[in-house]
Amino acid sequence: MEQLLQYTITGLAVGMIYALIALGFALIWKSSRVANLALGQLVLISSWFTYGILVQAHFPVWAGMIMTILFAIFLGWAIERFTLRPLIGQPTLSLIAVTLGLGYFLEGIVIVVWPISVAKLPVLFPQDPINIGSAVISQEYVWAAGISLALFILLSLFFKFHKMGIAMRAAADDQLAIQACAVPINRIFSLSWIFACIVAATGGVLISSIGGITSALIETGFKSFSVVILGGMDSFIGCMVAGPLIGLCENIGAGYLTSIIGPGIKDLIPFVIIILVMLFKPYGLFGEERIERI
Amino acid sequence: MSLPCGIRNYSYATDTAIIRTKTQWTLFIVFLLIVFTFPFYFPRFWLDVMNLIGITTIAIIGLNILVGYCGQLSIGHAGFMAVGAYTTAILAGSYHMPFLLALLLSGVSAGLIGLLFGIPSMRVKGFYLAITTIAAQFIIIWVANHWTDVTRGSMGLGVEAASIGPLIFDTEASQFFLIISITVLCVLFATNLARSRIGRAFIAVRDNDLAAKVMGINVFAFKLLAFFLGCFFAGIAGSLFAQWRGHITPEDFTFSQSILYIGILIIGGLGTSIGPIIGTVFIRLLEQCVTLLAPLVERSLPGIPSGFATGLSPMIFGLIMVLFLVLEPKGLAHRWNLFKASYRMWPFSY
Repeated sequence: MEQLLQYTITGLAVGMIYALIALGFALIWKSSRVANLALGQLVLISSWFTYGILVQAHFPVWAGMIMTILFAIFLGWAIERFTLRPLIGQPTLSLIAVTLGLGYFLEGIVIVVWPISVAKLPVLFPQDPINIGSAVISQEYVWAAGISLALFILLSLFFKFHKMGIAMRAAADDQLAIQACAVPINRIFSLSWIFACIVAATGGVLISSIGGITSALIETGFKSFSVVILGGMDSFIGCMVAGPLIGLCENIGAGYLTSIIGPGIKDLIPFVIIILVMLFKPYGLFGEERIERI
Repeated sequence: MSLPCGIRNYSYATDTAIIRTKTQWTLFIVFLLIVFTFPFYFPRFWLDVMNLIGITTIAIIGLNILVGYCGQLSIGHAGFMAVGAYTTAILAGSYHMPFLLALLLSGVSAGLIGLLFGIPSMRVKGFYLAITTIAAQFIIIWVANHWTDVTRGSMGLGVEAASIGPLIFDTEASQFFLIISITVLCVLFATNLARSRIGRAFIAVRDNDLAAKVMGINVFAFKLLAFFLGCFFAGIAGSLFAQWRGHITPEDFTFSQSILYIGILIIGGLGTSIGPIIGTVFIRLLEQCVTLLAPLVERSLPGIPSGFATGLSPMIFGLIMVLFLVLEPKGLAHRWNLFKASYRMWPFSY
């Protein structure tokens, strides 16, 4: 029972970070119907950039955070401007493939610029563990979960009430109609990529301040896809519900199944969940099922 | 359509033939002759590269059926190749099955696994399906890594060189003949498949699956067939890869490989029969150039970071993939067709 509590709490906290990364995906999907498969690589490159600023260039933490955000803004703008914008109106396949190529490119850059494969960020949060009942959790996790919750609320409010957020939702619904209403669609796409990169960078810094920077961050990106799929692609609330769910499944499953199936089962669970969701509820828990017409 | 001036078809048979004029026949035979005499004037190193090109071409042909013709995006092709490779390693290694049978069974087993992961295509498409195949890739490689009783995990399995009856393919040259012969057969099969009822149904499903359904095509059955055929070719490629390499580990079939295959197909040209070949040759030769040139550049320019040589190839490849999608989405096959057309029209291009 004590173990269960421990698994639950760790799972929920890790899941909140997955949810944050998944938010970056949902943002782009919600406004431009582009599936961003370079998510893991975006997380990776922004973590390494933070490392470069904080550790290699010895900037203070606050300056480093600002530079990381600026870098994310630039990255988002550049990606949208030079790869996605020329592809507006192309089939889904090209849009997916271009993000794959982009991911490959970013991975190459990371290898060229930071050939060391493992690094650790400086301590960003207080490290004292917190006791919840009989379970112990590192304070970093609580901070990470709190930050991702705050970002989620901010983004939801933005999409719900801000003029640009409403325009973004409209853009996802019907690109032609919104252009006819004289809404600058290029700016919307650009902005959604910038937001997504900021969210990915935040997720990257949080996760790598806890677990260090390795190429496993790319796999974390893929695990976040299971969050997106389970929650439904165009739903923020879906991300926030599915993230902790996936974290729970992963940790509880790993806790109890490792002795039966063997080590490493933890990495398999999110992908099995993807397959199961695809088979039984392909549009996720909160996703909107689209009815097609000829 | 693509006939030179003044050539007419007088019977249905000549109209449907792939190779129609005497010039084309001559060129084709000369091409085959040149290809099959490669071992006599190329050193071993380049034969090895060509073997890899042949194997990759087979895998890409499968991917082309699935993605190019049927429009079902699969980003787990390396995983399906792994299924074929491990089947051959186990059947030929532990059970001493004859190679040709193991080759066929590898194709079938990869095809069946592909069918399994293709089932979600009944209800979803586009990005959802892409994610499913990514999951397939990770699940297959996870199994290869952790089912240690059968696959020996990251230690990998040793595979003997293929043998058919008294012939043993244990040198680069003999491997070359084996691989290229199978590649030619696969190209022929895929080219003809694309012209058949099945190929036309695939294209209909790709272009508009609802309209295809209205036309009386059993969309789900054809999607599953595309998954089976595409993964069958992946299995064949994996099987050849296993006996060519002599030793396989899960590291040979990573997710990066899957992306590489998608990239090769896009660079070559989706939904064309020549595309997979051109794309594979282009990318594999580029890879060789990078591996040969990167150390030279590194030595002559001492200031560049130490990860340059390893990072260069994914960087260049990703860049090329993006550039092709943005600037030449129809791939090199389109350029090749334009070249042929202008050659045919010359000197009167109207």
